[in-house]
Amino acid sequence: MTMATVVGVRRTRVTAASLRLAFLQFIADPQWLVPSMIAPVIFGLVSYELFRGAGPYFLTYAILGAGMMSMWGQTLYGSGWATGQDREFGTLEPTIQAPAPYLYVVLGRIVWNVVAGLFGGLIVYVVVVVAAGGPPALPNPLAFVLLFLFVMVTLACVGIVFAAAYVYTRFAGFIQNIGEFAFYVGTGCMFPVVLLPFWTNPIALLFPPTWALDALRYVSIPGYVGFGWGWGWDLVGAVATTAIYAGIAGTVFHRVERHVLEVGDLSDY
Amino acid sequence: MSDSPAIEVRDLVRVFESRKGFLFNEVNRTQALKGVDLTVEPGEIFGLLGPNGAGKTTLVKILSTLLLPTSGTARVLGHDVARDADWLRPRIGLVLGGERGVYTRISGRENLRYFADLYGVPPGEREPRIQAVLERVDLASAADRRVEEYSRGMKQKLHIARGILHRPSILFLDEPTIGLDPKSARETRKLVRSLEGDGVTILLTTHYMFEAEELCPRLAVLSKGRIVANDTVDALRHRVGGDRTIEVEAYGFEDREHAALRALPGVSKVASEEFGPRVRLTLRIRTLETTPAHVAALLPGHPELSVRERRTSLEDVYLDLVEEEAT
Ligand SMILES: Nc1ncnc2c1ncn2[C@@H]1O[C@H](COP(=O)(O)OP(=O)(O)OP(=O)(O)O)[C@@H](O)[C@H]1O
Ligand SMILES: [Mg+2]
Repeated sequence: MTMATVVGVRRTRVTAASLRLAFLQFIADPQWLVPSMIAPVIFGLVSYELFRGAGPYFLTYAILGAGMMSMWGQTLYGSGWATGQDREFGTLEPTIQAPAPYLYVVLGRIVWNVVAGLFGGLIVYVVVVVAAGGPPALPNPLAFVLLFLFVMVTLACVGIVFAAAYVYTRFAGFIQNIGEFAFYVGTGCMFPVVLLPFWTNPIALLFPPTWALDALRYVSIPGYVGFGWGWGWDLVGAVATTAIYAGIAGTVFHRVERHVLEVGDLSDY
Repeated sequence: MSDSPAIEVRDLVRVFESRKGFLFNEVNRTQALKGVDLTVEPGEIFGLLGPNGAGKTTLVKILSTLLLPTSGTARVLGHDVARDADWLRPRIGLVLGGERGVYTRISGRENLRYFADLYGVPPGEREPRIQAVLERVDLASAADRRVEEYSRGMKQKLHIARGILHRPSILFLDEPTIGLDPKSARETRKLVRSLEGDGVTILLTTHYMFEAEELCPRLAVLSKGRIVANDTVDALRHRVGGDRTIEVEAYGFEDREHAALRALPGVSKVASEEFGPRVRLTLRIRTLETTPAHVAALLPGHPELSVRERRTSLEDVYLDLVEEEAT
């Protein structure tokens, strides 16, 4: 067996082990049921009331907005926060000492958070459909599914970068909170973008999911205007920003690991 | 590989910079290691002693690839810790111990499963090996309870179990018996010796002198970032002034009595300690000719004079060394 296959086997195994650990910790701590189940219900109801009567496709808009809010929160909190917890528990040291690249530990958690986020999205869907008395019309089901999956990928990429920030410094929570706020407001998850001051958009455009979500709305809401440059440019922007994030995650992780070994604050929190 | 040392440290320096102040603009520099040289042979159990803050944990972390040296080199199993971390990590076992460092919401067994996967324990061997390790540290009966319900000592055992799970060639134990009851501590020492039988090289830090004396044929004393002694226990005894110790206790001594004791043949050191009204003089003696009778003869007229001889303990040696360094 060559070294490459050993490492190859180990990566999927590490990701699987980390996914399993995330799940075990989730079910061991019932407090998580509150944000992961109650929040989607509230987001769903609020956005239903907010967008009510705004055209025939307002239901889709409401579902996407609230669903994204709950998935975004889950991804960010789940991924970055888990690394913050590793610092706090003192488990970051033994995890880094183990011969498994930390990136794949993070990846496993992100897979878990995406799954948990989807669950939140499903709750939003059910709440809005029940409130409206029926499901929304979906003009392009296939495009919807594909773009939806793509949105998940963009969310995961942001999650990885935030996790890297948490490995890098224990002050990462600060950056994360700004990111979360920018996304909620800037993407029009909660309010239609046109209602907001223009300066909020550029901040939101730094995040790949903003672009992907705009494209998703184009294909599912006929007559949707959004940022106004069409779904094609949305896709270009989404792919470009995602590539940048993935690139950052890939190159930065190794350096981040090196940096913490230099500073020696792995057990600080 | 068997002819190269298991650990080879040359002129190792580690500086910590911590920032404080509102804008983190004040930099605090701590030199935790100030040029350490150390060699440990394969299969050895090597002891590292030293007062709090001496740099023991810092050295252990550098050797286990958790911290980079500021300057100097450290080689483990013939590989540089800064450059060959990927090669070294699966071969290193690390027990930092303490209350933290394990996932508390899941069971001990689940903790071990997770780390077995991270260390690449062959999947088919994972469960039997975890069971064997749990039994070896006497934690099998609590293996499926949540770690948050564990006592401090049980957590310590879990740390040790994780450290040996992947069968490392070299094991770093930072105060392995801290928090263990006497029986568990003794079993842990037995475990350490049995690992030596498996051919594992062990570097162990401890504050318990009898532990070091029992386990480690060779040891080093680290003080304020420097190695102040590095030898066998017997050689260290000799270095600080001999094999024999005579303790004299009474209600105070006069200066001329002090001087007379110091002038006895073979006496290398006379240390004085007060215990309330009593004063104890400890004499370190290199030769056999000076006996307790000689000492008593020099101190006539003291009520309740006690003179007794004992073997110089590692603790005596250690305290002398650390004291020597301080002055
Ligand atoms: N992350 C850090 N940041 C700043 N200073 C540090 C850090 N870690 C250790 N030090 C400093 O380095 C010195 C050596 O610490 P170290 O933990 O290695 O000592 P030790 O010998 O293990 O002590 P103990 O017996 O108490 O465990 C101390 O002065 C300590 O304050
Ligand atoms: Mg220490």
